[in-house]
Amino acid sequence: MSEICVEIAGLKKSFGPLEVLKNIDLTVNRGDVVCIIGPSGSGKSTLLRCVNLLEEPNGGKIVVNDTELTDPDVDIDRARTKIGMVFQSFNLFSHLTVLNNLTVAQRKVLKRGEKEAQEIGLRNLERVGLKEKANAMPAQLSGGQQQRAAIARALSMNPEVMLFDEPTSALDPELVGDVLGVMRQLADEGMTMLVVTHEMQFAREVADKVIFMDGGYIVEEGPAAEVIGNPQEERTREFLARVLDPTHHGPSDPV
Amino acid sequence: MALSKRKRATYFRYAQYGLLVLIALVVAFTGNWSEIAHTFFDLKTVGQMFPDLVTVALKNTIIYTILGFAFGLALGLLLALMKLSSVAPYRWIATTYIEFFRGVPALLVFLAFTVAVPLAFEIKFDIYSTAMLALGLVGAAYMAETIRAGIQAVPKGQVEAARSLGMSRGRAMVTIVIPQAFRIILPPLTNELIMLTKDSSLIYIVGVTREQYELTKFGREFLSRSPTLTPILVIGLSYLVITLPLGYLSRYLERRSGGKKVSVV
Repeated sequence: MSEICVEIAGLKKSFGPLEVLKNIDLTVNRGDVVCIIGPSGSGKSTLLRCVNLLEEPNGGKIVVNDTELTDPDVDIDRARTKIGMVFQSFNLFSHLTVLNNLTVAQRKVLKRGEKEAQEIGLRNLERVGLKEKANAMPAQLSGGQQQRAAIARALSMNPEVMLFDEPTSALDPELVGDVLGVMRQLADEGMTMLVVTHEMQFAREVADKVIFMDGGYIVEEGPAAEVIGNPQEERTREFLARVLDPTHHGPSDPV
Repeated sequence: MALSKRKRATYFRYAQYGLLVLIALVVAFTGNWSEIAHTFFDLKTVGQMFPDLVTVALKNTIIYTILGFAFGLALGLLLALMKLSSVAPYRWIATTYIEFFRGVPALLVFLAFTVAVPLAFEIKFDIYSTAMLALGLVGAAYMAETIRAGIQAVPKGQVEAARSLGMSRGRAMVTIVIPQAFRIILPPLTNELIMLTKDSSLIYIVGVTREQYELTKFGREFLSRSPTLTPILVIGLSYLVITLPLGYLSRYLERRSGGKKVSVV
């Protein structure tokens, strides 16, 4: 297995006439945590969703775990089992208990036995501190608990890489820490992670690399300390100033 | 004199009550009650209708309805999936089917199975197949639209989560979307079942033997031999024995799913 986990070259994506991604190149090494930051509409979520082909690219090449996803003959379902995805809105299966949320794909997709799937599921629930919620329905959980269960669900497939699409944006402020804590723990264990986030402190402390996107391009990328601590590009500086010190800026200029 | 809005509403309410009482009084005084009691509540006739009312008529109504509903549900699900398909001809077929069978009277469909289909295909259907096919074909047209709406009401994120766990499109549909869709549409589906219960009375047109009578046919036969109109009342009440619990079930399911939504917020 190569050192490179995700390799994106010349990626283009449009929704109708709207060009969302314009020629993106990105490499993620195995075990790295890459945080993608940028203003809304910059294409960061679309980029993430292209990495497991939830969005079909219009051009370019995406290779994940040595499988070229942009190959028309790729077995995308098989490739996706190795790519965990966590959504902003959790998306737990509302008709299944928490444990069954974790086992359904293991059994139906990976063809694991009921018992094995449950063991793996319970182990991952324990990892995110929700073992006692195994038999609860998703609606009975708080947002933070739902998101941790969603992370455990993705982990139960034993992915090689995890994608997080603004995992804390739908949470009440006091619940954000629980989810970030689980993510930091994952990072410490060596999981390869791509994280779209507005949590600058998390990016600064956990990320090996930070990418700043704007207008469908990667504007700046580098170690967290440099991109967040000492941005070189004017657009990065402006964005960070707004995020880190929101009360000392007027309304943004009309684009 | 200017009445406050609230006072006006109160007086208007009193006027409504008064009207209702008046209607009740008119009915009570103009109705020939001894005649009505004699015609519709003749206990002797009621006694004669048992036990066949339950062991034959009620039983057959339930059997025909369940057969038709089961077939209609399966076909309706297929049509709903065809209607949501990305393959255009599937959508055309489903749309044509639904428009046709929703538009023609169920009676005509039963007639077709009595005369046209056996003639054209040289097949003879027994009574159960006829009930299943005719009721099912009509019911499927209604249920297809209900099921389609249910499938579309399942949040898109559920499919995305399923696909990102490696489930194929079909697997996600069967394991995640359809179970959730059916939870959403259980109340309207119960209504379809009630409609089919009543439509099962149309089976008489294919010609049925005594053992095959369902409620309406059974009642009509009795009516022709009975000096009173009591069978009409008995048959009506017998339908209510089936449909009232279904209606209650429907409201219960609605309350339950409604209650669940509240707890999510």
